[in-house]
Parts: sequence; C-alpha cells; structure tokens
Amino acid sequence: MLLEDVPEGDCLVVSLKEKRLDAVIAASFREALVERIDQGQRNIVLDMSQVSFMDSSGLGAVVFILKHLGHRGRLHICGVTPGVMAVLKLTRMDRVLKTFETRQAAIAA
Amino acid sequence: MIALTDNVEAMASRLKINAQPDRQSLQSAVDYHLEVTLAKSSRNADPEDYHLALALAIREPVIRAMNATEARVIQAGAKQIHYLSMEFLIGRLLANNLRNLGLYDVCAEVAVDMGVTLSDVLESECDPALGNGGLGRLAACFLDSLASMSYPGYGYGINYQFGLFRQTFMNGFQREQPDNWAVHGTPWHIERREQSSMIPIYGRLEGDLDAAGQYNPHWLDWSSLIGVPADIPVVGYGGRCVNFLRLYTARAPAEFDMAIFNDGDYLRAMERQVAVETVSKVLYPSDSAEAGRELRFIQEYFFVACAMRDIFRRHGCSGHRIDEFGRYNAIQLNDTHPALAVVELMRTLVDEHSMSWDASWEITQQTIAYTNHTLLPEALERWSAKLFERVLPRHLEIVYEINRRFLGEVALRHPGDQARLERMSIVQEQPHKQIRMAHLAIVGSHSVNGVAEMHSELVKSQLVPDFYELWPARFNNKTNGVTPRRWLLNCNHRLAALISEALGAKWITDLGELLRLEPLAADTTFRSAFRDAKLKNKTDLAQRVRSTTGVTVDPQSMFDVQIKRIHEYKRQLLNALHIVHLYCRITEDNCPLLAPKTFIFSGKAAPGYALAKLIIKLINNIARVVNADPQVNRSLRVVFYPDYKVSVAELIVPAADLSEQISTAGYEASGTGNMKLAMNGALTIGTLDGANVEIARDVGADNIYIFGLTAEQIVQRRQSGNAAQEVYDSNPHVRRIMTRLLDGTFSPEDRGLFAPIARALLDHGDHYMHLSDFADYARQHERAAGDYCDSQAWAARAIINVARSARFSSDRTIQEYATEIWDLQQVG
Repeated sequence: MLLEDVPEGDCLVVSLKEKRLDAVIAASFREALVERIDQGQRNIVLDMSQVSFMDSSGLGAVVFILKHLGHRGRLHICGVTPGVMAVLKLTRMDRVLKTFETRQAAIAA
Repeated sequence: MIALTDNVEAMASRLKINAQPDRQSLQSAVDYHLEVTLAKSSRNADPEDYHLALALAIREPVIRAMNATEARVIQAGAKQIHYLSMEFLIGRLLANNLRNLGLYDVCAEVAVDMGVTLSDVLESECDPALGNGGLGRLAACFLDSLASMSYPGYGYGINYQFGLFRQTFMNGFQREQPDNWAVHGTPWHIERREQSSMIPIYGRLEGDLDAAGQYNPHWLDWSSLIGVPADIPVVGYGGRCVNFLRLYTARAPAEFDMAIFNDGDYLRAMERQVAVETVSKVLYPSDSAEAGRELRFIQEYFFVACAMRDIFRRHGCSGHRIDEFGRYNAIQLNDTHPALAVVELMRTLVDEHSMSWDASWEITQQTIAYTNHTLLPEALERWSAKLFERVLPRHLEIVYEINRRFLGEVALRHPGDQARLERMSIVQEQPHKQIRMAHLAIVGSHSVNGVAEMHSELVKSQLVPDFYELWPARFNNKTNGVTPRRWLLNCNHRLAALISEALGAKWITDLGELLRLEPLAADTTFRSAFRDAKLKNKTDLAQRVRSTTGVTVDPQSMFDVQIKRIHEYKRQLLNALHIVHLYCRITEDNCPLLAPKTFIFSGKAAPGYALAKLIIKLINNIARVVNADPQVNRSLRVVFYPDYKVSVAELIVPAADLSEQISTAGYEASGTGNMKLAMNGALTIGTLDGANVEIARDVGADNIYIFGLTAEQIVQRRQSGNAAQEVYDSNPHVRRIMTRLLDGTFSPEDRGLFAPIARALLDHGDHYMHLSDFADYARQHERAAGDYCDSQAWAARAIINVARSARFSSDRTIQEYATEIWDLQQVG
C-alpha cells in the first residue's frame, strides 16, 4: 500500500495511491492512519482521487479512523471518485464524512 | 448506452438496419461463422453447429436493430416499462426470431442449400427452463408483445445457471436431473460486464445524528455481490423494434476475500466464492418448502437491486432529473417475488438521493404496480423479520417506517379497529414476526391487478378485502394473454398458413382479425383444410411420442391433453381417475368408448411434493397397464410425455383436440395453457375457474365442456361435512375406481403404493373435490366423445374456438397495461 504525506499548514494531506481500498489493504491503511493520529496529527485531509473502488472493509477502515480521531480533530476527504461516492451514499456515510471536491477546499474548510 | 441526447439523432441514423438480408448474404454469413467462428466445415458440422452459425448470422441485424431501438427511445424521451420477474420462460429463440424478422423461409432455403433441414437445426437449440410455468411464460409473452407493439419495455431477471430440473422417469417415478442449459454457451447472450452492479447484503446498522440533527443510520460491514448483466434481444414482429431482457449473474467481487487468499487459504477463499455465485445458480421450483430459504430471499433482493441500479443509471443517462423518475419509468412486479423493489426504490431515493420521505413515497407509488398471481394463502410470500434484518438491515427499517405511516392512515379512517390494523399490517406479529410481501406490494403500488376477471374479483372480495375497501380505485383486472407469434404462427405453421390464406396476415399483429374466421366454420372446404392441418400436426406428435416414449398412438383418435405443472389443485388426478373409469367400462362392463382416445400428459412435480410425484407414478402405471392391454389399447392409450417445457408445449398444443383445464374452481388465477390450446383449435373441458370463465363466455356453451362445482359451491360443500365419503357411498363407479387403485390393478408389485392418494381423497376430505366433481366430469367427457364422432361438426366447433380466442392475445393484455396502468406511448 502506498501512502503519500504532504504537510499543508496545520493539515496533513494523506494521499492513498491505490486504485482499490478493499480487504487487501484495509487493515494496513487503518493502522497507518491511526499511527499518524496517535503521533499527534489532528487535522487530516484524505485524498482519495486515485481510488476508484472501495468495499465494506475499506469503508470500515475510514469509519474506524473517524471514530479514533473523535472530537480531537477533523478528517476531511477530497477527490472522491464516483465509485467511492456511490458506496458513501449507499451507506449514508456521505452524511457523516465531510467530503470536498478539491484538496484546497478540504484544507481551507 | 448513448449518453447525450444531442447525439441521438445521428446515432439513430447510423444504426438504421440495412435492407433485409437475402439468401446469398445469409448463406455467406452462415458459411463465415461455420468456418471462421466455429472452425467447422460442411464435412464435420452437426445441426448444433449450423444452429450456432445461423444464430450468429442473424445476430448482427438483431443487434443493430436493438441499438437503433434504444436510440429512438432516448430521442423520443419516452417513458419505459421495466418488468421485474423471477422467471422468464423464454423458450427457444432462433425459430421465433426468424419468424419475427421475416427470415424463416429464406433460412429454410439456405439450410437446404447447405444440405441440412431447418427443422433439424432449430431442434438442436437448447430450451432454457428459466421458469416453473405460467408466471414465467406470461412474462416472456409480454416481452414479445411489448416489442411487437413498439413499446419501450424491458425484462429484468436472474440468469440461472441451472433452470428447472430436467425430468426423466425411472420405473414410472419422476427423477430430477440438473439442467445446465447454457453449458455450451448461447449466441443470444450479450454480456454487459461494464454495467455490473455491486450489491451489498448482510451487515449491521449504526445510527447517530447528522448535521441537521436527524437520525442517520449507516449500513456497515456488509458483504458484496457483483451483478453482471447479460442481455437477450427480444425481437418484435417485423424486426423494427428489438428490446431486451436483462438477466443478472452473481459473481464474487474481484477483491473477494483476498485477505484469506493472501493468508494462503485458497480452498476457503474458493468456498466463499462458490457461496456467492450460488445466488444465481439455481431456479427454485414452485411448491418448495418455504422454511429456511435464505438463498431465495437473497435471490429476490439481488435481482431487484441490480434492476433498480440499472434503471436509475439509464434514467440518468437519458438526462432526466431524479424527481422525474416516476414520469419516465414504470415498474411492474410479476407477483410478490420482486416486492422488495418498493423498499429498494425508497432506499435509493431517500438514502442515495437525499429526497424527503414524502417525495420519495410519491415517486415510488407513481412508479410501481403489482400483479397478483395467487389466491392460495399458503403461497403468499412472508419473510421472517429475523432473516430480513440479518440480510437487509436498512431495508427492514424502511419497511417498518412504511408500515408505521400506512397503519396511521388506516387508524385515521377506522379509529379503534385494532383487528383491522392487525389484518392489514405489513408486519405479521404472530406466531413470529414476518413481513407480508403482498401487503408491502399493495401499499407501495398505484395499481394492483389480478390476471383474469374471476381472479381479480376474488382478490378484492376474499384475498385482501380490507385493502380493496381502503383503495377501491387501485384494484383492476388484466386478463392474461399469449403471444400469437409463438403460439400460433411459429408452433402451428399449418394452421397459421391456412388462416393467412383466408384472412391475410394482419391477424399476426391484430388477433381481433381471427373473428373473421367464424363464418368459415360453415365452409366445408375450409373445414376440410382445417382438419387436414390438425391431422398432420397430430401425426407429427405421434411420431415424437413414439420416438420419445416408445408408445404408438393413433392420430385419428381424439388427442386429449393436460399439460401443466403437476399439482393437486390442477387435478391431473381427476383425469387419471377418469381414465381408470374408462378402462373399467371397457374391461368390466364391456362398454366400448364412443371415440378412440389418446390421453397425453406432460408436466413436472416439485421435487419435494410427494403426492404430486405419486400422481405422476400413477399416471405412468395406468399408461403401462392400458397400453399393454389388447382389449383396451385399440381405443384407449395413455402417454406421459417427459420433461415438459416450452418446446414440448409447442409440439403438443397444435395437435390437441381436447384441452383439460380442470382445476378446482377458485384455485387457478388465470391459466394460459387454456388460451394457447383454444387458439390452436382444441375444445376445452374445464371448470368455471380462472380464464376458463372468459373462454366459456366467448366461445359459447356449445363449443366448450364446462363441469363441476363453482367456487361458491365448493365453500358451501366443505362446510357441509365429508362430501367425498358421500360420493363414495352413492356412486358405484367411484367405488370401483378407488378399489382398482388399491387392489394392485395398477401396482401389482406393491398394492399399497397408491394408498396415500386414496387417503387424501377419502380420509382427508378430498380438499380439491376430485370425487365431488367426478360424475359431472365423466358426463362432459361422454358428451365430448359423442361430439367428436361427427368430425365435421367437431371441426366447426374447433374453428369457432380459434376465431373467438381473439381476445386472448397478450397484445390485448399489454395494450390494457400500457394505457390503464403504465401510461406508456409506442415509439415508432
């Protein structure tokens, strides 16, 4: 699994450089993000513009990260592709996760 | 799919079909596919190869016409009907497509040029058994009519790997073999892998409040199925309109259990994959036990969810707004199997499109309509709330909310009427919580129809009277019909040619034209030609009966046929008891038959329906005894033709003289076999049940043999005690029949073999009134036999049956659905 971190002000932009967020990488993805939170990162922008498919395991990982962060910080998601958005809408998680069209909008919000 | 309407005109123009293929171009195309696609030559090609080559040769114009049809529909911005059905009993496609394309005769010539006969080539096509019987065949007839009438109508269903089992007999007992119908592939499937849908099941709900403070449930930890569609083109008559039937196969997602796979547990990963793909593996036979059928529930959701995603996708591609969904889409539920569409449509609108509940509900009711097919309370689907919650947690929540609002409406109209609320609730509380799918379908639809006049009245008066009282305008009748293309033009080319010679060919798309045949019933030349066609059809069937069963039958004898699913209410047993009666009349009373008779049965019993399977064994044993008895077999023969399916029906229907439609009154919703047989010149012996009532009204009392108790009389008779015992005590013929069933006449190797049948009739009250109706049935048979002896008068009656079957075209039925339920326009 390939993650790329880019600090932007008080945000950490984490880009997932994979086409699929599924059972194959969900656990390691979750652990990697949890590690960043536990190291003190509070404002995370997750760039998913390269992810065209997310399954239940991938969604579960995102939800876990959101819960782990809790009220301590914020998780913004940008670059949501149609395939990922379909899953968010289907599960109504689009009403919970804060999604933005662009990286800049996610950072600025 | 064409995405932008601006491009549609240009696309439609590009896709115009070339001129009808001629003999030379067809021959070249068949040659090409035989040699290049199949790598065969005339030296080693068999009929199956020729079938495939011919199908591939006409596939090109069919697909071009299908694309052009879609372009026209988008250009017209037309409303579309989506017909959701668990079963589509489509039958063989090549012959029907050739007829509808007007290429049958030229292909016959091409076949001769290639040294084969077209009939052999057509016979080699597999007959997909993707349905149990009437309901599935109705769906296929409707698709044919929609396309032939240029209506934008599409079927959605499941691409079962194994259709209904293949029936064989072993010592007269039914044996079931798997029917892997597409094992050699089919040229008619167009896989649309790029339009696959991901379908979640199982999982759990987690709820919190959204930004606006509203309850917001999330569906998490689901498993997913992938629905892969394959289209089968539905060629309308004339070939201009080609719609499609979209069937879904369940596949495991690509990333399926990769974690397990990566752990090295290959076998476990494959087991899970097989489990997922089981969803579209097998068609459930009717009359199967209801308990524990989680797979069936998942099948129902799987195809409904796939269909709904596809309909939304196509709606979006047409450029229409979501709030216009009901304006451009109609969804018809073929029985309650797709009733989850109500919930899935609500979920999609509320959850995925963030529409308000009220607006979503308005669209749902505007879009969906429900066809009821059964009055049997035990056949009405109910799913346990526990199962529902485990498989579809979010959907159950929506069902509860629909029900809460619905019961609120009922309570407002009937304050304090708790019993009514319990009767009408979508959720049945006792003995354990269940979801009543018929109630869900009724509540979520703007139209509820029965399938014959009598049935529709019984739906209102007996099945769901509370709902009728609440919404009388919602209930209506749409008497079933059958497509005259398959059930006359294609299966009975001799009669079809005779009719066309007399009337012209307009009847093929306007069956009302058949009424003009009626004066010809008095025309001796026409009658003679009609009898000649019937005799040739009977001779064809006799040859097939001999090659399939080994039994020789006389084409001059009266062919008395009962072809349908084996069920107590359909009363094949009554027919069998009557044959025993005739056998006894000949052998014991020395009373010969008025006319020689051949009784032909065909039909399958559900694998778990023991009594129905025993009835098959009884008929086979009667056949064995009767056909071997020289005192009897010159005037009486009995045949059970194995493995009933559409192609078998197409063989038997044109050859029938007498059509057995003898269900217990009040049980058969409509029947369509009755219509097919009348349309092909068989006279009906039947009860006042289902569409028999309308056939009797149309053909007139002189041209049909009606017998038996009415539905109302049956209710009264049941209340008055054990009617069967009274009949047994008072009717010596009935006593003799029962004795022969038990004395080993028909089961010398096991005298008690048929005791369960005798017990059902005598000890368990004969629920289906075989004995109560027997005397009247035998009388009408005697009347029919007498009439048959006057062959000219019989032919006149048969011609009148053909002429007056005009109303039973599925074109008429579809026209009624289109104008009265769907508000659909033709796209020329």
